[in-house]
Amino acid sequence: MKTLGKRIEEQPWIGWVIFLITIIVVFLAGLFTYTIVERRTEAQFVFQPATDLDPYEPRLEEWGKAFPRQFNTYNRMADTTYVSPTLGAPKADLLDENPNMVILFAGYAFSRDYNLARGHYYSVDDVRQTLRTGAPMEPEDGPMPATCWTCKSADVPRLIAEYGDDFYAHTLAEMGHEVVNPIGCVNCHEAETMQLRISQPALVEAFERRGKDITDATHQEMRSLTCAQCHVEYYFGQDNKLIFPWDKGLEVAEVEEYKDAIEFADWIHPLSRAPMIKAQHPDYEIFMKGIHAQRGVSCADCHMPFRTEGGVKYTDHRVQNPLNNISNACQTCHRQSEAELTRNVVSRQQDVYEVRERLERALVKAHLEAEFAWNEGASEEEMEPVLQKIRTGQWHWDYGAASHGGAFHAPQEMMKIYGNGLDYAQEARLELSRIAARFGHTDEIPIPDVSTKEKAQAYLGIDLEQLQREKDEFLQTVVPEWLRRADERHRAWDAGDEAPSQF
Amino acid sequence: MARARNVIRWLLPPDHWRLPVIILAGFLVGIAIYAFYVSNAGSYLSDSPQTCVNCHVMAPHYTTWFHSSHREHATCNDCHVPQDNFVNHYVNKAQDGLRHAWIFTMRDEPFVIRIHEPGMDVVQQNCLRCHEHTNHRVSAFEGTVAKARAGEQKLCWDCHREVPHGAVTSSASTPYTNVPLPESPVPEWLRSMMGESDASR
Repeated sequence: MKTLGKRIEEQPWIGWVIFLITIIVVFLAGLFTYTIVERRTEAQFVFQPATDLDPYEPRLEEWGKAFPRQFNTYNRMADTTYVSPTLGAPKADLLDENPNMVILFAGYAFSRDYNLARGHYYSVDDVRQTLRTGAPMEPEDGPMPATCWTCKSADVPRLIAEYGDDFYAHTLAEMGHEVVNPIGCVNCHEAETMQLRISQPALVEAFERRGKDITDATHQEMRSLTCAQCHVEYYFGQDNKLIFPWDKGLEVAEVEEYKDAIEFADWIHPLSRAPMIKAQHPDYEIFMKGIHAQRGVSCADCHMPFRTEGGVKYTDHRVQNPLNNISNACQTCHRQSEAELTRNVVSRQQDVYEVRERLERALVKAHLEAEFAWNEGASEEEMEPVLQKIRTGQWHWDYGAASHGGAFHAPQEMMKIYGNGLDYAQEARLELSRIAARFGHTDEIPIPDVSTKEKAQAYLGIDLEQLQREKDEFLQTVVPEWLRRADERHRAWDAGDEAPSQF
Repeated sequence: MARARNVIRWLLPPDHWRLPVIILAGFLVGIAIYAFYVSNAGSYLSDSPQTCVNCHVMAPHYTTWFHSSHREHATCNDCHVPQDNFVNHYVNKAQDGLRHAWIFTMRDEPFVIRIHEPGMDVVQQNCLRCHEHTNHRVSAFEGTVAKARAGEQKLCWDCHREVPHGAVTSSASTPYTNVPLPESPVPEWLRSMMGESDASR
């Protein structure tokens, strides 16, 4: 048989036909590969969130463009109407509800004003409005340092990146115009990957001092550690730097040991003259002692449970009381009815509150009896051990009382804390009655009537009206100026003249 | 061997055609390799779920699986490809794969993708394969699609309706989801040669 080559040599048209066929085949093969490329390219446009976000973008609405579900559920935190049988979210005057705290916090700003915080959505507003932050009419005015903003705003990661530790050395008012966005996306998420991240230097440093690397944390641990950026015990160190006192451990006694070692006192109580420590909100510390943490449940599992919309499963960013969302928060694991689960939670909380109230009453009496003893002429030497006990007793009370949800997170730990606290407080009172006896008082030590917020504040000489007048003026004159400057900054970012990460 | 040699000899072009033929043949082979590369064809031999989102229409199925408890234990192929023997496994994979490739290339995919009957049989057998220890008392044991059609049995997902892809699936049911879709096939070295930075991508 003649080879193809020979035949083409004889009849060249065959060669041309093959050439033409090859052209058509290559052409079609080209078209085919193009369809593959075309469909591949589609993939770069569908299912790709438009996240061209600045790494320090503080505005929730900018992130919300790419993550509408998370953003919408976050915004539902504006609704604070849900009140559980034991705790609410609407603004409430805790001093009015519990006048004991006026005496316990005498000499400290909490005796003026202690409102229930309304949640992340209102974090910046609540700081501006509370009487505890005073009325700084000028940037350099106190009483509070910028450190108070640290946990309150999505602007803070940007400011800490810009100023470093120097951020804390400013006053609250100097940073007032910079801090306008409430706690938001950037506090817990990387802008590029949406991975959970720690933006709080104090938490990273606390881990380092304990010889741990926070970047080793698993995703499930991060679902609690992002909360532990703020829901923890802390204090202001040198130049008001934010520090988590975890070096000796996270338990009530270990944190106290740490603070004793540096002779730390938040304030001297004006009635008993005891050097007091204010507990902040050791939520994470106490949660970690509870059964849910020990079984590997994270904060987000209950406070931000998954929900589904269409085929989308996502984290509910309405951080709230799980009792307002029992079906998603509890019943994923527990098969009991909503009524029973609520009963289980509330009964634990009420048992804990019962002991807490006993401790609280004992501490109020201890402060007032100590005042009596001083007035009778007790010596510093004999009062010193009493004051230590009052300090330790109230530290125990506060470590529990300031912990959001501790009574449910770890009821057994709370009972231990309050039980030990009660012992310290009553020991102090026992000593005080001995001292009083030496001055001839063997009956019950007389104490003034401080049974309401008004009476207690009047006893301490707090002029609430004056403070409120100053606050109102501050809110009407200074805050609008802060907002105007913030608006200007946001507009410059939108126009592309500046960017959040340009400083 | 001799036959093959004959065929090659028959195909060989005359001497003065040899160079253009070599070049043209190169074009053909090159474009075939390009099609292989750009369609990630090699990945189809693997069991990686990422292979299934080579076609972005599978993104809703990938992401619903990714957010389900099955993610930790079963890949796409564990359920959707027969696991009873090696031959069955690859024959089925090739058949399904070519069918899907055809549909995707022809842009024939429906808005709501539903499993077809042969696929249901495979999935049902794979449900039983892993879960028989826990469900041997359930009537679904030994269930087949044929029996279900005859009204004698139920299939697992007649009750477990949301496992694992959720109750609602369509190409619009999971917007904004983040799945590992294939990125641009342009390699990094070429990109940098073209002076394009990562940021401008």
